[in-house]
Amino acid sequence: MENLVILKKEDLNDFVMQIARTKKVVAPVRKGVKSFAFEEVTSGARIDLDYTSTILPPKKYFLPQKETIIEYDKRKKEWTPTLYSEEIVLFGVHTCDLFGIQCLDIIFSENPKDFNYILRKNRILIIGLECSNYCDENASCALMDNQNPNGGYDLFFTEIDDRFIIHVNTYHGEKLINKTGLCTKADKRDVSELRLLKERKRNVFKNEVDIPYAELKPLFVNAMKSKVWDEIGEKCVSCGNCTNVCPTCYCFDIIDDINLDLNTGTRTRVWDSCQNGSFAEVAGGENFREDRGERQRHRLNRKFNYPVSKFRRYFCTGCGRCTRACVAGIDLKETINALIEEKKGNENG
Amino acid sequence: MKAKVAFFDFACCEGCQLQIANIGEALLDVLDKIDVVEFREVMSEKSGGDYDVAVIEGSITTKHAIERIKEIRSIAKVLITIGACASIGGVNGMKNNFELPEIKKYVYGEDEKYFDSVPTMAVDQVVKVDYYVHGCPMYVPEFVTVLKHALMGLPYKAPEKSVCTECKLNENECLFDRGLTCMGPVTRAGCNSWCVNNGNICYGCRGMLDDPAKTGQIEILKKHDIPLEWVTNKFNMYNKAKDVKENENE
Repeated sequence: MENLVILKKEDLNDFVMQIARTKKVVAPVRKGVKSFAFEEVTSGARIDLDYTSTILPPKKYFLPQKETIIEYDKRKKEWTPTLYSEEIVLFGVHTCDLFGIQCLDIIFSENPKDFNYILRKNRILIIGLECSNYCDENASCALMDNQNPNGGYDLFFTEIDDRFIIHVNTYHGEKLINKTGLCTKADKRDVSELRLLKERKRNVFKNEVDIPYAELKPLFVNAMKSKVWDEIGEKCVSCGNCTNVCPTCYCFDIIDDINLDLNTGTRTRVWDSCQNGSFAEVAGGENFREDRGERQRHRLNRKFNYPVSKFRRYFCTGCGRCTRACVAGIDLKETINALIEEKKGNENG
Repeated sequence: MKAKVAFFDFACCEGCQLQIANIGEALLDVLDKIDVVEFREVMSEKSGGDYDVAVIEGSITTKHAIERIKEIRSIAKVLITIGACASIGGVNGMKNNFELPEIKKYVYGEDEKYFDSVPTMAVDQVVKVDYYVHGCPMYVPEFVTVLKHALMGLPYKAPEKSVCTECKLNENECLFDRGLTCMGPVTRAGCNSWCVNNGNICYGCRGMLDDPAKTGQIEILKKHDIPLEWVTNKFNMYNKAKDVKENENE
């Protein structure tokens, strides 16, 4: 209970303004008619806490779409590694996205460590936000068991009536709370209401696909030759939306650029996508995944199969972004259901 | 020694050359690297055929233009097309929606016999092109990139992915979700989704992807309940010239 504090909703604006005075605050804001995005805010006015998931996940702050990693000068034969980081308070992160950030942490902390990522990550303070209901029908957070937080935050906000009940999880989080001076200690009533909300959530969030969590990996392992991939391959246009919006896709390309003086230049890291036709193309023109269906199969195996062997966790957060972002209507839950149906068919026939 | 660069225009609005004149600060860096020997829009001097790099704006629409572009090609060590008209045919290609005698009569009336006209072609339908800068108007950062590649003698190819890829990275709300028809999924990237960033749809001015995944594109139309004609009409606005077969106008 001592880790719980209360912020009145009417004080949220002051809370954000106070932090924004010294730090960059990013939070979900409305973008267009029915979309949202994490953007810099200076007050609570633009923040939309009823947001469905944002177009891009918060990974854009941890792994920028385009990042300069080296500056060079050919004449002087000098190569200077560069590092970009800034102090950010990331506000209003859903539990699925917290899980996504934890996945990225695992990837970039592996040897050889990615210091650009780690140093940037160390300067980002994460404030989570409890979901009391589904974003929309595309989410499968209960299937992936991400409807509740599993750490990965400094502070965690739960909205109840006229207040936020805040779980203070780290020293940095506590410092931030103390600095604003707007929060009060939670009492027994707050704790019991929090418990009630968690119980209510148990009836709201139910596994969206008819398969137990542990059965997901074997389903994909045994579906390497499935016809489902051909069907998806027919639909896919390889735009790469599904990987760009995925909170756990981290593949990147390295590009060397030269300035107009034709002597100095930069090396940049940019997001890449396994859905691009040339992604698995090697010297000589050989392409290991020429077919769109193979590329989609690979994408989902990188969520439900390979990382389980390597890190003992699924890399799907259940956020539903890949389904939402697919212009051609490839739907994750439909795909898993099709694999289940095919498996049943094979077992019976 | 600086490369001697000459700019030439064919059937076009000269808007792409205007883009170059308007580059701003980077223009000084560009001029530091090249010697502009002919550029009708911004200077009166002529090269007299003494140039290394030819930058071409506009599409090929007359027999005279065919001869002229062949002559330019025979002199130029490197040939760069700028803008949709030169690179893919562009809006001039709309002419190809009609029979030539019919459309000539519509435009010129009784005097049509005095005018030389052939179905619209992109420059590469007549001569070899070394570098393309796409877009209507051309995308300036891509021009600078192409210029650097040309100066270093390296090949450059526009990214073989759709505009959607860049659009999503810019976090634009998908226009299909707003009930609009957008050419993004079939159009070659490289413009950083310039139009959508500024509240417009994609018109396909950079040309169609080499492999646009036809069955998938039909899925997109089905999902959003869009008739195929709407898309082909929009697409023909910039991409009709490519229907002209090689040597058809010879």
